[in-house]
Amino acid sequence: MKERIAIIDGLRTPIAKAGGKLKEYQAEKLGAFIVQELVLRVGIAFKDYDEVIMGNVSQPGHAANVARVIALQAGFPDKTIAYTVHRNCASGMESITSAASKILAGDGEIFLSGGVESMSNVPLMYGEQMTELFAALFIAKSISEKLYTLTQFRPRYLKPIIGLMQGLKDPVSGLMMGSTAEILAQDFGISRKEQDEFALMSHKKAEDSIKAGVFKDEIAPIVYAHSKVMEADDGVRFGQNMEALGKLRPFFDRKNGTVTAGNSSQISDAAAAVVLMSEKKAKAMGLEPLGYLSHFAYAGLDPKRMGMGPAFATAKLFQKHRLHLKDIDLIEMNEAFAVQALANIRAFESDSYAKEHLNRTKALGCIDESILNVNGGAVAMGHPVGMTGTRLVIHTLKELRRRGKNRGLATLCIGGGQGASLILEVE
Amino acid sequence: MKAFDFSIEEGIANLCFDLEYTSVNILSFDVLRSLDKKLDELKEIEGVKLLKFTSAKEGIFIAGADISDIQGLKDEQRAYELVREGQRILSKISTLPFPTLVVINGACLGGGFELALCCDYRLVTQSPKTKIGLPEVNLGILPGFGGTQRLKRLTGLSKALELILAGKILNGKKAEKLGLVDACVPQGYLEFKEKSFIEQILKSPVRKKKRVGSLLDQYLPKLVFYYARKKVMQKTKGKYPAALAILDLFEKTQDKDVNASLEDEARAFSKLSITQTSKNLIGLFYSAEALKKEKGVKRKVNPISINIISVVGGGVMGSGIVFLFSKIDKLVRMKLRRYTQAGEAINSILKVYKGFIKRHRLTKNEVENKLAHISYTTGFNGFSQVELSIEAIVENQEAKQELYSELEKVMDNKAIIASNTSSLSISILSEKMRHPERFIGMHFFNPVARMPLVEIIPGKKTSDKTIVTAVALAKEAGRTPIVVGDCAGFLVNRILIPYINESIRMFEEGEDFEKIDKLISDFGMPMGPFVLADEVGLDVGYKVSKVLEDTYGQRMKISGILDKVYHQMQLLGKKAGKGFYLHKGQKREVNEEVKALVFSKRSFDEKEIIDRAILIMVNEAALCLEESIVANAQYLDMAMVMGTGFPPFRGGLLKYADSLGIQSVVVSLQSLSQQQGERFEPAKLLLDMAKNGETFYKEG
Repeated sequence: MKERIAIIDGLRTPIAKAGGKLKEYQAEKLGAFIVQELVLRVGIAFKDYDEVIMGNVSQPGHAANVARVIALQAGFPDKTIAYTVHRNCASGMESITSAASKILAGDGEIFLSGGVESMSNVPLMYGEQMTELFAALFIAKSISEKLYTLTQFRPRYLKPIIGLMQGLKDPVSGLMMGSTAEILAQDFGISRKEQDEFALMSHKKAEDSIKAGVFKDEIAPIVYAHSKVMEADDGVRFGQNMEALGKLRPFFDRKNGTVTAGNSSQISDAAAAVVLMSEKKAKAMGLEPLGYLSHFAYAGLDPKRMGMGPAFATAKLFQKHRLHLKDIDLIEMNEAFAVQALANIRAFESDSYAKEHLNRTKALGCIDESILNVNGGAVAMGHPVGMTGTRLVIHTLKELRRRGKNRGLATLCIGGGQGASLILEVE
Repeated sequence: MKAFDFSIEEGIANLCFDLEYTSVNILSFDVLRSLDKKLDELKEIEGVKLLKFTSAKEGIFIAGADISDIQGLKDEQRAYELVREGQRILSKISTLPFPTLVVINGACLGGGFELALCCDYRLVTQSPKTKIGLPEVNLGILPGFGGTQRLKRLTGLSKALELILAGKILNGKKAEKLGLVDACVPQGYLEFKEKSFIEQILKSPVRKKKRVGSLLDQYLPKLVFYYARKKVMQKTKGKYPAALAILDLFEKTQDKDVNASLEDEARAFSKLSITQTSKNLIGLFYSAEALKKEKGVKRKVNPISINIISVVGGGVMGSGIVFLFSKIDKLVRMKLRRYTQAGEAINSILKVYKGFIKRHRLTKNEVENKLAHISYTTGFNGFSQVELSIEAIVENQEAKQELYSELEKVMDNKAIIASNTSSLSISILSEKMRHPERFIGMHFFNPVARMPLVEIIPGKKTSDKTIVTAVALAKEAGRTPIVVGDCAGFLVNRILIPYINESIRMFEEGEDFEKIDKLISDFGMPMGPFVLADEVGLDVGYKVSKVLEDTYGQRMKISGILDKVYHQMQLLGKKAGKGFYLHKGQKREVNEEVKALVFSKRSFDEKEIIDRAILIMVNEAALCLEESIVANAQYLDMAMVMGTGFPPFRGGLLKYADSLGIQSVVVSLQSLSQQQGERFEPAKLLLDMAKNGETFYKEG
């Protein structure tokens, strides 16, 4: 990039298990809450922002262009423009990189970007047959015609299509996301036990970090059920163990599968936001940014193996900017599935994978697991799809600061066969 | 005087109200008489196909009759003749040989709507300024230009009673729904909708759905009257003659035709128009109008526009204030000690909003947007953008001062800091501030969601800008701000506390407190002093009383009983279920334990009880005027009516003193002061007024 983009500050809600504490918050409410909180805390007046960009996957029907609804509810004036971006699981990164591109193009100076997802509120839908019946009823002219149409009804028409399941299905290959994870397990020969061990570590790290208060400076407590307060992610199982994980049945391939609810990311509700501007602008305003976005890349790959996105995107990013894994002090790689993270670790260190898939002569490098997802990941905390990208950016920067380190890599796999990688710096 | 323009175009006569030298159309007798002349002329003009009434004023059709006309009525017969004349003139409209239409795009109230009722057709707009109703009852009178009769024939008996008894004001849509008007169109469509409406009328008279009211209206009107009367008695305790007169009139004219009924209406009107109650209510109306125009300072200073407000403190007052400002779509940031308090506050705010949704005053969507504008924190983060912060923490000088120094660190130098203190001095509270000019008292009353009064208290160093901003903000929130002086208790509490003290003292001397409560509520206060003390909370009451005792000394000495009840028995009042009364839900019974504190029994006569309780307030009020704590007697009376519910039919505390006669007030105070002590020593102002034969109000 021509110039680094300053990330002035970032904030997120706690991540709640779907159907749980934050279910009463529709996506726009969650978004408005965090955006308002961040803008007030950062101290730049609402009217001074040029645009609001929000990532969101299951865009709510009652709040089309949810970013604009969020902006207005959060307190932005009517003149502030806003739009919603969708790059599946990377939507919360896309909002940031879109803003970065606009800033570099001179198309606005101060941006509010973020991601939001209320997986509790993804609707159920009527199936094709029921929809047709409704349509026929609607155009029927006389009462008798209507009655006749009604006789065509069969109870099975009422079976709903679960929007959430539909969203988690790759429309091209027709595979559930979990099934793409099973393919990776086969490709790399990763056992159920390895996956469960990885999941256990994710919970352990998250548990320790919550207890140590690590997330306190990125979470804004939120009131739910009209009188209770949520201050921490509630998906993390304190005292998680192998036995409990081992009891779970594979979800996507009941017979031979390895991927369970326990070693997959959880479906959840949350929102996150950051304030962005050019490094120059931040200096001119006398601000001390949380950190900077210096490079980013998105890459495409086989939708059936979408989980390999981090390897592909990182390879593209390193290639383009002549970077090496040894330059990276911290890695946040989204844990869509434990096996997917493990597969990437294998792919990063494999020369043959690099040659065959990444158009490189040598491997990307061996990931030092002591700098990978140091405070746990989505398996423990949850993966509110549209929000996760923003969370990874905020968390990487705050953790770099805690460690007194400089450069981090935030990367995730994207349903539909893409990957995203961002280089973030604090100095 | 020119009251309207008149033109005829293609057979359509247009009588466009446009009263000279003012922005408001009113239906004074002068206007009525020139209308009379024009109507007579019209009858003679050939080729008129239709007459329409319009208005050239922005947002107003006719705001009502001329209230000064009514205020000036002193003689019943004269009033009768005048109102009969008005009836005769307006009735002419309904006898014109061509159809009549009134186009209402703005306020159309009282006499204005009675004129509209005489027309064949009523067309209104959906503009938020379009307001329709017969609010006469609020001024202690009834609609006298045929309104009671003609409305009943449009809506049926029970709806008409409901609208007139409550003085309800409706928007266009609601008026259409209830059948008060024939059509309600969006303001922007008015021009062509009016045209097509007229074309339709001219083609063939528009048939109207006949409304005869509910089944009860038709077959059991007696039952309708029975319930209406019961409700009126519940609400007014029989203190407001207008409501009862309206019921009587409707009953009497139930089976009569319009013309015969109009005479009864005029009789009823003229009786009411000369009552003191009506004069008192009109007086308060004028005070309220005057207050609406007050900016807070004499000099012309523009207020700062305030969009982001913070409220520090999550108690009952804090969350009430958060509600108030979220309701007018401000961003409101709560600062609390613990996040759980935010939960409690939001819960209580949501409860208030649910009431609004239930009564269809707000939609669910609107409420959600308002709630989304509320944020909360336990620190001072997010304060740099706050333009006005209201402190509502414990009544403790050090704690407050410490808070202000924190706020000054995080807030912009120009941002305003306001305190909701109910008793501490604003000048003293701001002593340690770097920028005391931005500090002011904004004293809200509990429950904030319902109480209309806000006392605005400038300290010695408060800037004019700060004063006008606080006044403008309170008005924006639909409240009535009154600027008062910076003394202990400010205005309302300073006057009210002696009344509670004195009541407790009578109990201490042996009188039953429930008897005192009963007499005082018969006097017209919304509740007796002991019920009030329980409602407010004995802890809160005691603390405020203490501050007042410390400042004013012997005059405001706290009764020994209150000390015992609060300190020894540790009773807190209604919130803890126990005070002077035992509270169970909405019910209460006398707390015998408190009663047992007094051994001797002694009974006072009614007049003595009322005099001791009320005249001690009159005396304190006079002292406040002497010290210029408030601008004038009218504002003081409004403050007492809005802040304590002092009975409006009495016109206010000082109006009550006027009605007794200042001389007689002084005599009573002097005799009380001999029996009871110096606290009844009449204020110098009262003595001077008595000597010079003056009253607080100039007339009426």
